[in-house]
Formats: sequence, structure tokens, C-alpha cells
Amino acid sequence: MKNYILRRVGYSLLSLFLLSLTIFLFVRVTGDPTSLLLEPGASPEDIENLRRQFGLDQPLWVQYWRFIESFVTGDLGLSFYYRTPVLDLYFERLPNSLLLAAVAMALSLLIGIPSGVLAAVRVGGFWDNAGKIFTLLGLSLPSFFIGLVLILFFTVYLGWLPSSGSGTAWHLIMPAVTLGWYFAAAHMRLTRSSMLEVLGSEYVKLARLKGLPEALVIGKHAFKNALIPVITLAGINLVVMINVAVVVETVFAWPGIGRLLYEGISFRDFPVVQAVVVIGGCMIILVNLLVDILYALIDPRIRLES
Amino acid sequence: MGGQTRIGSSDRGGSRNPRDMAPSDLTRRGLLALSALGIAAAGQRAALAASPDGQLTWAVHISLAPTWFDPAETPGIITPFLILYALHDAMVKPMPGDVAEPCLADAWKMAPDGLSYEFTLRAGAKFHDGEPVTAEDVKFSFERYRGTSAAMMKERVAAVETPDARTVRFVLQKPWPDFLTFYSSATGAGWIVPKKYVEKVGDEGFKKAPIGAGPYRFVSFTPGVELVFEAFEGYWRKTPAVKRLVFRVIPEEATRLAALKRGEVDLAYSIRGELAEELRKTPGLSLKPVVIQGTFWLYFPDQWDPKSPWHDQRVREAVRLAIDYKSISEALTLGYSPITNSIIPDNFEFYWKPPAAVYDLAKAKQLLADAGHRNGFDAGDYYCDSSYSNLAEAVINYLQEVGIRVKMRPLERAAFFSSYSEKKLKNVIQGASGAFGNAATRLEAFAVKGGAYAYGNYPEIDDLFIQQATETDAAKRTALLDRAQQVIHERSLYAPLWQLAFLNGVGKRVGESGLGLIKGHAYSAPYEDVTIKKTT
Repeated sequence: MKNYILRRVGYSLLSLFLLSLTIFLFVRVTGDPTSLLLEPGASPEDIENLRRQFGLDQPLWVQYWRFIESFVTGDLGLSFYYRTPVLDLYFERLPNSLLLAAVAMALSLLIGIPSGVLAAVRVGGFWDNAGKIFTLLGLSLPSFFIGLVLILFFTVYLGWLPSSGSGTAWHLIMPAVTLGWYFAAAHMRLTRSSMLEVLGSEYVKLARLKGLPEALVIGKHAFKNALIPVITLAGINLVVMINVAVVVETVFAWPGIGRLLYEGISFRDFPVVQAVVVIGGCMIILVNLLVDILYALIDPRIRLES
Repeated sequence: MGGQTRIGSSDRGGSRNPRDMAPSDLTRRGLLALSALGIAAAGQRAALAASPDGQLTWAVHISLAPTWFDPAETPGIITPFLILYALHDAMVKPMPGDVAEPCLADAWKMAPDGLSYEFTLRAGAKFHDGEPVTAEDVKFSFERYRGTSAAMMKERVAAVETPDARTVRFVLQKPWPDFLTFYSSATGAGWIVPKKYVEKVGDEGFKKAPIGAGPYRFVSFTPGVELVFEAFEGYWRKTPAVKRLVFRVIPEEATRLAALKRGEVDLAYSIRGELAEELRKTPGLSLKPVVIQGTFWLYFPDQWDPKSPWHDQRVREAVRLAIDYKSISEALTLGYSPITNSIIPDNFEFYWKPPAAVYDLAKAKQLLADAGHRNGFDAGDYYCDSSYSNLAEAVINYLQEVGIRVKMRPLERAAFFSSYSEKKLKNVIQGASGAFGNAATRLEAFAVKGGAYAYGNYPEIDDLFIQQATETDAAKRTALLDRAQQVIHERSLYAPLWQLAFLNGVGKRVGESGLGLIKGHAYSAPYEDVTIKKTT
């Protein structure tokens, strides 16, 4: 078990190193940030001064070393655009992202799980077909489109909800629905397939043969077991929601981590992009690590196989 | 402006309180008292009308950075001035109808030898904490300035002297006629911060709770969400009409328009293309274009090579005649980008107005035929900043109509400008500049020998430029710079395309939006002039 955990931690650190190197190089491929912080036609001296100020005149390996050093010491450097510590910016936005992700996740589970159960129980029927259409739309419609349609309908035509911003529960509704929409479809699909699998299992057949009421078979015996993979996915999705709600947060001007990443990319704010991606990567790697360890604790076959 | 003394004024009337009046019966004294009461009441109404009221909200297209709260860090872009005009004030700054209006300085003069500028501070100008603006604050603000062109300014200014609390003297290393351009509009060095307060709270503390001498005081800032200002009634120029200004960050253009339609915001910056068309059609809303100081042009870097077709002036003239500038402006910016036919923005000091651009396809073809290119020619590459490839595509279509065949080479902005300045580009360059300054600074970079973006030179232009660089007489300097611009036009050194317009939306509650009041400024300003429409 100890070897298994050590190996998993090693893989995680290697993933983190590769992620940091990739993002460090990728942001630099996009171009020089000074061109977006000075007017076109600015003097070469001004451009050079700014490059020096940002440390971009240093060799790449020095820049990378500084990035890793700042990350390890928990500093993360100064934002090129905001000229404030990146860590402060991150923690200012984090509560908003957590709130949005929590509400969107709750919505997605409230819609996805019951509709998935219903589709599995009435397989081939109306609810199943309606669910398939919902899944298709949920997974294929891009969130910026859904967001803009919601704004058009609920803000411009009906005037019921504010178009953007934050601060009240009303502001949260449209971004949470837009963000939760995709995940609701994903959760519905997984719940349906998981339920179908469980409903076809021997112990459910036995429960039915024993004459248990159908509601009890589905509600107590099948549902609980079918829920395990859905909850696992929801946990990972929550981390994803916190970190990648870029489009939703931009459309609705929601001040979260996704918007921070969008701003970072727009202004080639290397420290911000690097920090958001690496912290997000850390969260995902950590969650996966914990899941791996928990699985190994629960199921001895996994640790023996590995 | 050199050599002149400028004087500003700020007279404001007071009022009397009717509650101070003694009660009276209807005697002659009483009638007099009642009349006085009526006059006083009218005075109070006037005073009430003059006090700030209401709120206006802007939907801003970009995230606001706290670094812009501090004029010392002003980078070389226009955006920080969106905040500076509210929170701070400058010694001299662009204002409606004047590129260098006296503000915190109510007068200045240049020494006859051009080696110093002396500013007299306006009496009664105060910071938001009630402290007066002093010469020490001016000196301190200049010395701590570290934004764009800071090194160049500090290199050219030998000393800042403060003989008394209201006098500041900038002593120059050698005559520098553009000192005022840089001090008043091209940098943030002339925007004044309170020395005592900055020293007390430090640079970081200042960005968290800035204090300035502008018409609005800082209330709150939520990064990525909004910035709130409140009217400063002690502002010297006038009491602002609107009590509260809110700047909400809404990055998505369609959302900004939705917020404007619903009345969540009163003004929305940067609404382009089809959305601008939609805005124009929406009852109650209006489209407000603002022409900024960004000019675009075609440049022919090979024109000094006798073997190149671009060496022939007739070919360059043909290009100028072959492009239907108005149609391009109509298609890309609803016709709001004016065709100024110059690389110098029309709001710049020393701008010379050239003859209007002409679109004459037949004449263009004739000129090409005269130059030996009856069937046109392969002109090689057409380099442009990839953000403006839509403009490039339109221009290339027109060039092809007269037989000038080019290959579009869009480059990422930084790569484009670095290649441009390193003189690596050939054939045709679609250039642009939004840099601050005046006609002389723009010519220095783009048309004079050794200029950062000049691939060659014409001795006549160089001579005129050298003469103006030390000319302290404004009229003579204007004549020299006019002539230099005229030569550029006559020789078709450039084929100017347009001066870019920035399109904005204005809601029905807005009286005066402040947009376009200051020529070349992209945003609402001055904020003390902004009003809410009166409802009956």
C-alpha cells in the first residue's frame, strides 16, 4: 500500500511538473504582453523598459525557474496587468467561483439524477426519449450560446433577471443554469446508464422475485448503488466547474476564477494564466490522487494489481 | 503654447439660507423681508440644483486595474485616463476645445531661452481630504512618476524647483519644445497626488484608497466587478452634476448591449459591427462614436530603392487613388472612422489638414500605366497587425482592382511592431499608431531619418524637423511642421487610410455623456460635465 501511494504521489508530481512546463511555454507562444500594454507604435525604448520590468528580457530557463520558485514559496508573482499579487487576485475571485460552482452543481444534480432515474425506469418510453433529447442538447449546445439566449429572453424580452454582475441571488440564476446545464446532461446520462446496469443485476432481480414493492427496489436497492459513479463524477466536475467556467463567467461578467483566466489570456498576463492553470491543475491532480487512494483502500484488487 | 501665459477662472456663486430670515408681518419691512425670502428661496433652489444628484452607470469593456488609480504608473495606453479624469487632476490637460488647458496650474510660462517652464498653482485647489494642492505635491508627483516615457522625461528635466508653495519651475537640460506635450497629455507625469498622504500610506496603500484632486472621490473598488466614485463638491472647476459614478465591468459585448437595453447601465463602451447596428435601431438608445487618436496607413518601405516599383511616386499616388476609403469605413465602422488623409491624428497639436482623400479608379490606372505598369504588377507582401486583417482584406481588394497584387501577411501585434521597427518588413506595410504626443513626435517616429519606424528619409523633411526641434516660437514651429506634413503628402510617403472610431451606446437617462467632448479621448470626460437628463 505504501509503495502504491508513493508511486501515485510521484505520478502526480510528474504531472504537475509537465503541466507547469507546458503552460509556461504555451503562454509565451501567444506573443509579447508588452504589445497589449502599450499603444501600437510605442517607442522601442518604452517596449524594452516594460519587458525589463516584467523580467521578459531574461533567458527562458531563468523565467521558468523564477516561476517555479515563486510557486513553491506561495508567492506567484505580480500580475502584469493589475500590478498586484496574483495570489490576492486569486483569493478575491475564489469565493465567487465556489458559490457559482456549488449552485450550478446542485442544479445539475437536482435535474440530472431524477431525470436519469426516470429515463432508466421508463426505458424506451416518453421520459427516456425526452431525456435523450435533453442530453443531446445539453452536451452539444455551447454555453456561450445558452448564456446569450437566456439573457435575450429573461433580460431583454421579459426583463425579469439582471443581465450580468453579482451581489444578489437574482444575479446567480442565469450563470448557474448555464453552467449547470451541461453537467446536468452529463449527470443524467451517467445516472441512466448506471441505473440500467444496476436494474439488470442479480440482486435487483432477486429483490423483485422476493416481491418487494417496485418503489423500494428502485429507491432503496438500485438507486443507492447506481449513485456511486455519479457522486464520483460530480466531485471531479465540481473542481472542473470552479476552474473552467471561463465562458459563463465572461458572458455574465461573473467575477470568478474563469474570468480571471480570461483576462489573463486577453492581456497575456503570464503570471495570472500560469497561476490559475497550475492551481487548477493541482486541485484536479489532488482530487484524482485522493480518489485513487480511496479506491485502493476500499478495493484491495486495485492495489494488488498495481 | 510655448512662451504664453495661460489663465483660467473658477468663479462660483454662493447662496443665503431663508431660515435665517426674521419672521415679519405685512408691513413695508415685511414685504421687503418676503421679497428677500423669495430671493433667498430662489437662491436655495439654485444651490440645490447645483448639488450633485443621481447615479450614472457605465458598462466598461475591459477589467479596471488598480494600478490606474495611481498616475505614477500610467502606461502608454489611453485606458487609465478613463479613471484619471475622475479621480485626479493634472497641472495642464486636454479638455474640451483645448489640448492643453490650465487645470491645477492656472498659468504657466516658458523662459525666453526655452530652458525652463514655470507653473503657478491655482488658488483653492484641494485634494479630497481637504488638503491644498501645493508645489511640493507637484514636485513629488513628477519625481515618483515611473510610467511611460518616464526615463526620457527625467533625463531631459534637470531639476524641479519650488520657490514657494504656489510656484513650480521645471529646469530643462536643453530647450525642449515638446515638454508641455509630454507633461500635459502624453504621460501621467503632470497628474498630481498628495505627497503627505502617499508618504503616509505607501504606494500599495494609495492604490487601495486613492486620494486625488479630481472631480470625483474614490468610494469602492471590487476587482473585476465595479468601481464606484462619488462627487467631490470641493472641486475647483465646478461641482459635478452627478452624485455617483459606477463603472461595471462587462467583458461580453452582447451582454453590455442587453444591460443597456434593460437600463441596468446608462452607457456602454465598445459596441461594434452588427450589435452597433442593432443599437442604432433601438428606440431610446443612441450610438455615440468617438474618433480616437489611432491613425492607420499604408507604408512603402521600398520607395528608396530605385529598382522597386514603389520608387516611382506615380505608383504610390495610384494606390492612394485606388482605395475607396469611405466604403471601407462604412462597412467596418458604420462610416464613423473619418478619412483624415494623414498619419497625424486631427486632434494633435501642429496637425496640418491635408486635402481630402479622393477615390478615382480611372486616374489610378492611368498613373500606373504612365509608370509602366499597364497590367499592374506583383507587389509582394502586405504586412499587417493581425487584429486589423479585416481592414487589410478590404484594402487588398481595392489594390487588386487596379492590378496591384499582394499577399496578405498578418502578424501577431508584438511580432508585427517589432519587425516593423527593426526594419525587417518589405513591400507594403499596413501601419498604425495610437501613441500619444503631437505632430512632431509622430513625425519623429515615422518620417524622419533614424525614426523608430522610418525605413528611409527625405532630406527636406529632415531639415524641417531639425529646425522645429529647437524652435521655441510657436508660430514658426507650426509653419515648419505644417510644411513637413505637406511634403509627406505631396511625395505620397504614406497612403493614409483612416482615423479609427470607437463606437459606444448611450441610454435614455443620459443628458451629457461626455463622449467626444475632448477630441481624441476614447471615454467620457470631463466627468464634471456629465449630466443626467432632466425629467418633467
